[in-house]
Order: sequence, then C-alpha cells, then structure tokens
Amino acid sequence: MSPFKTPKKVINNVAQLVHCARRFYENLVPSYTIYDVECPDHSFRKFTDDGQYLISFSRNHQDLIVFRPTWLSFSCKEEDCDPHDLPSKAKRFESFFTLLYCVSLASSNEVICKDFFLYMGSNQFGLFATSTAQFHDAPAIGGAIQGIPSIEKISFYLVRLEDGVILDEKVFYNDFVNLAHSMGVFLYDDLLAIVSLRYQMCMVITDKGRQHELPVNRVENGLQHNQHIPGSSFLSGIKQRLLSFIFRGIWNQEADHSLRVQCLKKKFYFHFQDYVDLIMWKVQFLDQYHLLIKFGSVDGGVSRNADHHPAFFAVYNMETTEIIAFYQNSADKLYYLFEQFCDHFHATSRNSLYMNFISSHSNNIHALDQLKSMKNKANSFSQFVKKMLASLPFSCQSQSPSPYFDQSLFRFDEKKVGTVIIIEQAHYAWS
Amino acid sequence: MGSLFGDWPSFDPHNFSQLRPSDPANPSKITPATYHPTHNRTVPPPNQGFEKSKITSVEVISTEATNILLRQFYQQAEEKLRPKRAAAEHLTPEHGCKQPKGSFADTSNSLP
Repeated sequence: MSPFKTPKKVINNVAQLVHCARRFYENLVPSYTIYDVECPDHSFRKFTDDGQYLISFSRNHQDLIVFRPTWLSFSCKEEDCDPHDLPSKAKRFESFFTLLYCVSLASSNEVICKDFFLYMGSNQFGLFATSTAQFHDAPAIGGAIQGIPSIEKISFYLVRLEDGVILDEKVFYNDFVNLAHSMGVFLYDDLLAIVSLRYQMCMVITDKGRQHELPVNRVENGLQHNQHIPGSSFLSGIKQRLLSFIFRGIWNQEADHSLRVQCLKKKFYFHFQDYVDLIMWKVQFLDQYHLLIKFGSVDGGVSRNADHHPAFFAVYNMETTEIIAFYQNSADKLYYLFEQFCDHFHATSRNSLYMNFISSHSNNIHALDQLKSMKNKANSFSQFVKKMLASLPFSCQSQSPSPYFDQSLFRFDEKKVGTVIIIEQAHYAWS
Repeated sequence: MGSLFGDWPSFDPHNFSQLRPSDPANPSKITPATYHPTHNRTVPPPNQGFEKSKITSVEVISTEATNILLRQFYQQAEEKLRPKRAAAEHLTPEHGCKQPKGSFADTSNSLP
C-alpha cells in the first residue's frame, strides 16, 4: 500500500460526499423575504427537485407554463451585509425566472389537474394529467365498480421540460384515476403504475430505452377486475390469489383437522363476502417486481373518517403473480416493519440518488425520537398503528429531498410547512 | 534521468540512486513479487484468480436481489404457510380453536 495517501481517499463513497455537501446548507439559510413582487397571474405549482424548472399552470388550468429559475445572482462583499438593501431588480419576477414556454395541454371542457405532477429527473420529463368533470352517480356498467365516480376523459401527458414538446399521451375514457397529489399513479424508474379505481385495474407501463411511445404492459394474469359471470361465483385475478393466500395461511395454522375447519369457518368463511367486496385503493412499487396494494371497502374510500372501515395491505409479486403478504391496517407485524424499514417503503429510483437522503424514522435519530414520543402518548396502540399505516402506500414524489427538510440538519414544525412534505391522511378526490 | 526522488536532499547522494521512474521506451523487466497460496481455504470465486479451481463449493459474497423489507415479507409468508406438524395426543378438543400468535390479520376485529 502506498504510504502517500491522497486527501481524495478520505471521502471514499458517494453517500459521505452528499452528506458533506448537505451539511453546508447549515450555513446557507433563507434570511430575507421580498414582498409585493409583481408576478404573472399563474398558478405556481412546484420547483423540480433538481432546481431546473418552476412548473406553473395558467389560471384557467389549461396551459402548462414552465420557467427556468435563475439562482444566486447578487453578492455583498462587505463585513456587514445585513443593512444593505437588495438592488431594485430583486423586486422583479423576471430577475429570478425566465419563461421557457407555454404549452396548451387541456382544451374545451378539460382542465389540468393542478395537484398532479411527476418528474423523471434523469431525462427531465414531466408527467401531467388533464380531466373532464366527475360524475358521481355513474352507472356501474362494463365491469365498473358501483360507488366510484366516473370521468369522461382522463389524459396523461409526457412532456420534455426542456422545450415543452409533448412526447406521449395516454387517455382513459369513462374511468376514474385518483389524480389528487398523484395518488393513483406511481412512478418507479421506467415503470409507471396507473390504478383505475372504477375498473379495479392496475396498468404498468414501461418506457423501453429512449422510445417515447409507452407500450402498455398490462399485468395480464394478475390484476383484473372481478368478472361477474351470471350463475357463477368464479373469481379471477388478484382477488383469487388473495383469498387463496388467506385460506392457506389459516389452513396451515392448525394441524388438527377439526380445529382447522373451525378456524376456517370463523376466520375465513364468516368474512368471505367482505374479502370478496374489497377493492384496490392505492398502489406503490416496492421494487420493480413487487407492489404494495391497499385494499378497502368502497364506503371506506368515501368516508372522511377511515377509522371505522377496515383496510388491508397486500404485497404482490408481478412476476410470479403471487400474493406474498396480507395484513390488516392494525397489524403489529406490519407496523414493526414500517418502523424499522421505513426507507424501503420509499421505493427510490436508481436514477435519483438524492432521493435516498429523505429523513425518516428509520434513518434519523430525531425522527425516530418523534415517532417514539407519539407512540408513548397514544391512547391506544392499535389506533396509533392505524394512523401510522394510513400513510401507506406512499404517494410517489410526495417528500422533498431538500437539505432544509433533513432532520439531521434542521428542526422544523411540520404543520407550518403544510402539505409540502408529507401527506399523511389520504383523503380521496371524490369525498 | 534522475532518481525517483529527483533532487531531494539526502545524507548520501547515492541513496535511492537505484530507483528509476519507469521509462516507457524501456519498460522495467522486474516483475513484482506475487503471492501464491499454499492452501485452498481462501480460494477466490471461480471467475477470479489465476487457477481454475477444482473446488466444488465456494462461498461468494454477492448482493441480494431483494431488499431487506421484501425479505422480511417473504420470511413471514414462509412461516405462515409452512404446515404445522400434527401435535401429539395431548392436544385435547376442549381447547377450541387456538389463537395464532402475532396474527397477520387481527381477526379479533370483526369486519362490518
């Protein structure tokens, strides 16, 4: 080994490097607010996490307007800079943002869903959605589930943010996808899962390489809506897999045959119709093959108070089409996995390294302290578990990787920050 | 061409005079010493090392395909789906249906 170590070898992995860079932000905090700036009359939505774009929509929610932020542009070299006012150009919107383009996404009776935006950082693509109005009492025809509203037309647009070119479009008719806070869609690397609540389908779309046409890779032998064949009680697809998993679990609990039958009667057959009536609410990727699916009753989705309605979680392997796990939302076992391995519920793309640095109670001692203090204060452990697990499945890109939200660097009041970082209780669009 | 350490001062000017930076036109013919293992307890994986090994089983460190969370799910599934061996005769009927320990579904909560 060479006796002459270079300083470069001291920081010998990327994670260490990133943490060093993030600690620098302890010295660089916002300290000045500029008021009464004349801004264009747009609905400003979000900065992309890489700081390259400011996404906004026109007031009528039909156009996408993208700006390029101009970052630090003023400096003061004196000993005491505080008394200095900023130059007059600091009061101008144009000093900070350059308009890149304005692109029309919605026409006539469509509007852009202002809560929906997913960013593919590796190639700077943005995913947007437009929809027409909702109908709440839509008839349950064509395999649709009763009680779920219908939207005449939902369109997803893949836009190259650099120049606003629409690369691809995917349209759903007379369907319902939960667009609010991008809850009905999950992006993982080049896989996009879209959940049709109305038809109880989950479509997984892949983007092979640089093709901008997204071939649909529907999970054929997996997630299909219930097929109500008259005169038959045959269940297909994931529901069948789920019931089989539950059955086998109960069957294997008892070795004695008569006890086994008793257990099955009490735990399986008694609740059979309730299991059959479960619908898929929300889905996320755990990795490229596994989905975490939340199931519940149709009523539970509508009600503001989800406590009185049971909810379940299942882990599904898309390759083998098997259910791997099934838990009720009050299950201790699932909670302990959530407490220990929270980070792994945030399935992060291989391409966005910085997403690995989101603080959670599994990677940050302060966040863990907060969680434990909430656990100790809770009146009922079961209620506490339900409350914590209500954040699963996680919504895609719902948390910011900003160093200012890094709990090893800063402490902040989540309530004052608002829904920017965490959307804990998912209330659905039709309630 | 000077020594590796150039004109650095040294007590004896002839010190280090044998060390020469390598000259691309005249590559050094000195082969560095290599280590040859005298036993096979630390044989490298079959695709490494200078000798094709006749060893049948080699322990190789590799990355697990599934992450730790998924491994936990699979492990719990395996425990759940593993059939229980039939108990001995002292299992009496009046015990009724046993409550499973740490049930995945809290079946004491009845569904509506």
